[in-house]
Amino acid sequence: MSWGLATLVDAGLVVGVATMLCGLAGIGDDNPDALAFGGVGAALALVAAVARRRVAPPERPTAGRVFAGIGLLWTVLVLFGAALYAGTGSVSRFDDAVVESAAGFTTTAVTLLDAAEVSRTVLLFRAATSWVGGLVAIVIAVVTLPVVLRSTALIGYTTGRRGQDLVPNATVGIRRVFTLYSSFTAVCAAAYLLTGLGPVEALVFGLGTASTGGFTGRVDSMAGYGAGTQAVAAAGMLVAGAGIFVIWWVVRGRVRPLWRSQELRTFLVLLVVATLAIAVHRGVGWGEAGFMALSMMSTTGFAVADWTAWGTSATVVLLVAAGIGSMLGSPGGGMKVMRARLLMGSAGGELRRQLDPYALILVRRDGETLTQRTLDRLGGHQIAFVVLVGSGAMLLGISGVSLLGSVWGSVSAFSTVGPSMGEVGAYGRLEGLDWPSRLALVPLMMGGRMTIPPLLAGVGLILRWYRVAVRQSRFRTRLAERRRQTRSKSDHDDA
Amino acid sequence: MASTTLHIIGIALAAVSVGMLACALLEALTSRRDTAALAVSALVTGAAGGVLWYVTRPGVVRKRHIFATVAWTWVVITGVGALPFILGGTFDYGGAGLVEQVVNSLFESASGFSASGSTVLADFESPGRGLMMYRQLTHWYGGMGVVVLAVAVLPFLGVGGLELISAEAPGPSSDRLTPRVSETARRLWIVYIGFTVCAALAFFGADGFSSLYDAVAHAFTVAATGGFSVHADSIGHYDSVAVETVAIVFMILGGTSFSLHWRAVANRTVTYHRNSEFRSYLTMLAMASIVIVILLWLENGLSLGSSIRGGVFTVVSLGTSTGLSNATGPGSPGDYVTWVAGAQLVLLLLMVVGGCTGSTSGGIKVMRMRVLGLTMLRSMRHTQTPRAVIPIRLGRDVIGEGVVARVAGFFLLHFVLIIMGLLAVTALGGDLESSLGAVVSALGNMGPALGEAGPTSNYAVAFSQPARLVLALLMVIGRLEIFPMLLAAMALADRGRTALR
Repeated sequence: MSWGLATLVDAGLVVGVATMLCGLAGIGDDNPDALAFGGVGAALALVAAVARRRVAPPERPTAGRVFAGIGLLWTVLVLFGAALYAGTGSVSRFDDAVVESAAGFTTTAVTLLDAAEVSRTVLLFRAATSWVGGLVAIVIAVVTLPVVLRSTALIGYTTGRRGQDLVPNATVGIRRVFTLYSSFTAVCAAAYLLTGLGPVEALVFGLGTASTGGFTGRVDSMAGYGAGTQAVAAAGMLVAGAGIFVIWWVVRGRVRPLWRSQELRTFLVLLVVATLAIAVHRGVGWGEAGFMALSMMSTTGFAVADWTAWGTSATVVLLVAAGIGSMLGSPGGGMKVMRARLLMGSAGGELRRQLDPYALILVRRDGETLTQRTLDRLGGHQIAFVVLVGSGAMLLGISGVSLLGSVWGSVSAFSTVGPSMGEVGAYGRLEGLDWPSRLALVPLMMGGRMTIPPLLAGVGLILRWYRVAVRQSRFRTRLAERRRQTRSKSDHDDA
Repeated sequence: MASTTLHIIGIALAAVSVGMLACALLEALTSRRDTAALAVSALVTGAAGGVLWYVTRPGVVRKRHIFATVAWTWVVITGVGALPFILGGTFDYGGAGLVEQVVNSLFESASGFSASGSTVLADFESPGRGLMMYRQLTHWYGGMGVVVLAVAVLPFLGVGGLELISAEAPGPSSDRLTPRVSETARRLWIVYIGFTVCAALAFFGADGFSSLYDAVAHAFTVAATGGFSVHADSIGHYDSVAVETVAIVFMILGGTSFSLHWRAVANRTVTYHRNSEFRSYLTMLAMASIVIVILLWLENGLSLGSSIRGGVFTVVSLGTSTGLSNATGPGSPGDYVTWVAGAQLVLLLLMVVGGCTGSTSGGIKVMRMRVLGLTMLRSMRHTQTPRAVIPIRLGRDVIGEGVVARVAGFFLLHFVLIIMGLLAVTALGGDLESSLGAVVSALGNMGPALGEAGPTSNYAVAFSQPARLVLALLMVIGRLEIFPMLLAAMALADRGRTALR
């Protein structure tokens, strides 16, 4: 049985349970959504639980199959969510349902839903999709790619030596990740409760913070909340953006790896620099600046103010922060701090090499020296990142979005942030976009969530299938031609 | 500073002073307004160049000095090149103080020598013909490169010659036309001069051109893929299809490798089609033209004829990094800032890519883009077969891993510089759309940008004085393809650190 199917079954179980719980939470609301979500969730969980006993992942799946499986997994999740939204009438149009579902599972903070208009069940389901999306993203980053695949081609996408501590093997790794992620979510929700939010709201915010989903359901995101709630959100985004390893080290009381992590240091330095760069603008407070820098770097997408009205350079700082993104092992998107570091090291090395072509230039990651081959591959992935963001901007531009909205929207959607300059705005509302533009965001969000290697592998597989199909069709045509010739020759001989 | 570096700077200054002197003569024969400014500038520049040339002796250029030599030469000629504008009071209008005049002059000089074509000149009527021709001439000097010129007249320059040309010439590697480096440089300049003469004759013969002065001025621009014009509304001033067609042909040829031109002339056979980079370059221009014409026709509501005329000219102009405009006024078909976002994004992409290696155009270059694309495809294949050894080929040639790494490094640095430039320019007061366009345009030596810095506007309107200086620096960095300026800065920093110790 393929690796993709086994993963799909596992994810189906989690999604099923989550959907069922959302349905249960809505019972007593005099709303048909609760029953529909509860029933579908229970059925999915049941089917997945039965299938799980029969489906076992292969011992050593090939890279192509793993990547194809990752692509399939995200596609099926999005389609499931869309079917549920459209089927229950929570979102009236199917294309809008696809956009909402994609935004949820890819942890992107753009939405068409309004908490004042939708039921508690739908609100919780939307937040839960982000939570599941975040969980899947972490598992892929810290378990699938480094442990299942063990591929050196993915250094920069995987977590290196420090990963072995948290994830000694796939089973233990998944269990630990699930426990840590769930506990962190519970802590966030509890903290929100303490600041005076209602239970459902606290849960929605907790799910949105831990997963870096950034969904609140409110048209002004976090702008209308008190300092306590915003402080909890900021702390949560910091931890979520720092990633599962930092949570693991903190839980285990291990200070040394925390201190020695180049990535964490860079992440914090970038945060401070971004905050300072934004705060120098007139009318922007330190708190707002820090919050928005955190929101963008962790790719959460919460907003405490309409930052699109801040000075131009402040928005550029936020754009760069969103492009760099969070740390490895976090549910956030973007290029990732570690990869940005490695690429800068590689570019600096190339600059030095101009003076001395035979110089031995080493690029290290947490004490590990990376080979030139690895850096070349990372460079290739970086080129793909820029090409995809550029193509996305063009797609948005052609679909009718303004120039600024296209560039910003593409970076933001590909980094799974959500809010952007232009039509979408600071609070991630999609009402300002036409349906083609909204749909254009879907491949961008999904591409950003899948990360580059699975995306490239997916395109590679499609190209390979296409080539094989062309070859087979040519072969068949030639065979048919030869048969025809043989038949006509034999007919001629007979005559 | 090494003796050879000063010697090359001296030759470059002498060459620039000859141009200033010629323009002073033209000015004396025509409007006479800026004769003194040009003559004094020529005298000062020539004297400085002569002294440097006389008191220094060239030797073998060391590897570490090559980049510094090229970078310093460009910094010095940009500074000295601003003299005629400062002395002539070209930017002395609207209550501009001395500092603003100096900043504007430096900007115009940097834009000219780097063959960018961005301008802060608002009044095109007041300056005399000599000064306007000098402005065009800065393009022409910068197009082929003053260091290439210096190497051409330095027959005794030994080992470092080719590296010097490589450091200045656009592209990842320079094409050696002959065994002797000075002969290679000389041949490049011969082709360049011949190309300019052909362009001037073609312009002069085109229906709509009024004078030889206009023809020569625009020939300098298309040969260098610059962008300056002697009219405020650029090529749109003539409103002539014939003129635009001539400009399109010569802009495309200007964006093509001059080695290919030399081979075509020397062998008397047309071999362009055998060059894979040239084919890709034409394909890119054709594809972009088709997309933009369709977008203008369907989404901007222009007629098919206007869409083709405005779209193709602008694509070729920005795709070759020239920057001429056929807009006849704000809102006209050639005024691309009024086009739909998709079309403007295609133009932004063209600004990043630029023309062929070995041409006078800017940008990352088609060959590099191909290498980058192939690197990306290789990464795609590596995700499935991680241990496969996959060489990168351009045509029949396998590209060395060193070149691939250099190209990837160049791309990264280009990308980083765009971000840094964007941060700096927006911090200095530019709006996001104009700043993004201007930074990409400056690094790619395009000229006009987006937003307020579009083809019917100028940079003085869109950017503050410090932002203009940042953009001027980016133009020179872009013209030298990043490495020389950064390495010269690194060498300076190293020297400062050593001195401190």
